[in-house]
Amino acid sequence: MLPFLKKKSDAAAAPLVPAWHPNFRNFEKLPDIKVVRTAFFINGAAVSAALALLIYFGMQEWQLRGLNAQIADWQRQIDQNKPGSDRAVALHKKFQAEELKITEVAAFVKSKQLVSDLILHLGQSLPSNIAFDGLDLRDTGLVLRLTVRGTSDAALGYATTYLEQLRADKQLTAFDEFSITTSTRNPATGRLAVEMFLRLRTTPKKP
Amino acid sequence: MTNAELLALVRKNPISIGCGVLALLLGGGVYYRGGQVPDVEAELAQKSSEGERLSSNLKNAAQLQEHFDALVSANKAIDARIVRASQFGKNLQYFYKLETETAVKLVTDPRLSPPSAKKDPKAAYVAIPVNLSVQGTMPQLLGFLRQLESGTHYCRVLTFSLAGSPDRKSPLSLSINLELLGLP
Repeated sequence: MLPFLKKKSDAAAAPLVPAWHPNFRNFEKLPDIKVVRTAFFINGAAVSAALALLIYFGMQEWQLRGLNAQIADWQRQIDQNKPGSDRAVALHKKFQAEELKITEVAAFVKSKQLVSDLILHLGQSLPSNIAFDGLDLRDTGLVLRLTVRGTSDAALGYATTYLEQLRADKQLTAFDEFSITTSTRNPATGRLAVEMFLRLRTTPKKP
Repeated sequence: MTNAELLALVRKNPISIGCGVLALLLGGGVYYRGGQVPDVEAELAQKSSEGERLSSNLKNAAQLQEHFDALVSANKAIDARIVRASQFGKNLQYFYKLETETAVKLVTDPRLSPPSAKKDPKAAYVAIPVNLSVQGTMPQLLGFLRQLESGTHYCRVLTFSLAGSPDRKSPLSLSINLELLGLP
């Protein structure tokens, strides 16, 4: 007989009904049949946490112990060095007071150019056809009063050349501006009277 | 939960509960002691800094006494060259002595003005202004200036005026405005 001609079983159509017998199993008393028991994980986690904290706490205590030992070392060194250091500091203050006096003297001596050297240098570097009539050092600069030999145009040329020579002079670094302020012919001698001004630097040039 | 139930729970899970309690205690300890670490580190930094400073003081002061003694002796030498503004006669004598030594002629008596006020209140010395007017030949005047500038007392020339006469045979005139380093 062909299958589709067979009558369907009534069992599939029957309604689902609860088991006919009561379940007497006591799950709390039955053994845990899991491969790894839950308690193992809980205990493991608790032990791990405690162990981790123990290690961390131990390391922290070790660190604190080390720091305290270093502090004690430094304190011992401080106690040992303090008297000597205090004496040195007191001596250094006296040293500074003495040094201040020397610095003051050095500053006083260096504050102005040696005038004797300046005059000597100007005299040594003076051209043969020029003579000094006077020198006048003021707060602002140096005035040179000169007499120049020669005809007017030649004398003025000598004076200009001398001015250029002064300007290029490495020993006159205290001055920053060089100029001829007046130039007049002396009718009696026929020579040219020239006045030059060398302006002092406001701040000295560093060598 | 009653005490009995609690006790039963502890008896049933001794490891997990014991470890939990231990972890709690350790956590408290870590929290309490961990707060002390920055303080201890700061204290160590302060102590080490102070210790290094003291040690450095001692190291740098190794020759301080010798240097100080050298400065003291240098200042004694300086002190001997310092002008006392109150010793007027002695100061005049200095210029007359220079006049004799360099053969220049003092046209007028040197004029010593009262010391100028200290620019720096901490300064040990004051500048004593002096005006001089001398006559002489060029070598004599240069010798006089040189003696002034490198002589017994510390001196700086502020201004000067050097002039000759038209005939070029008369002595030259030199007016100097200078300062001597001194004490009031």
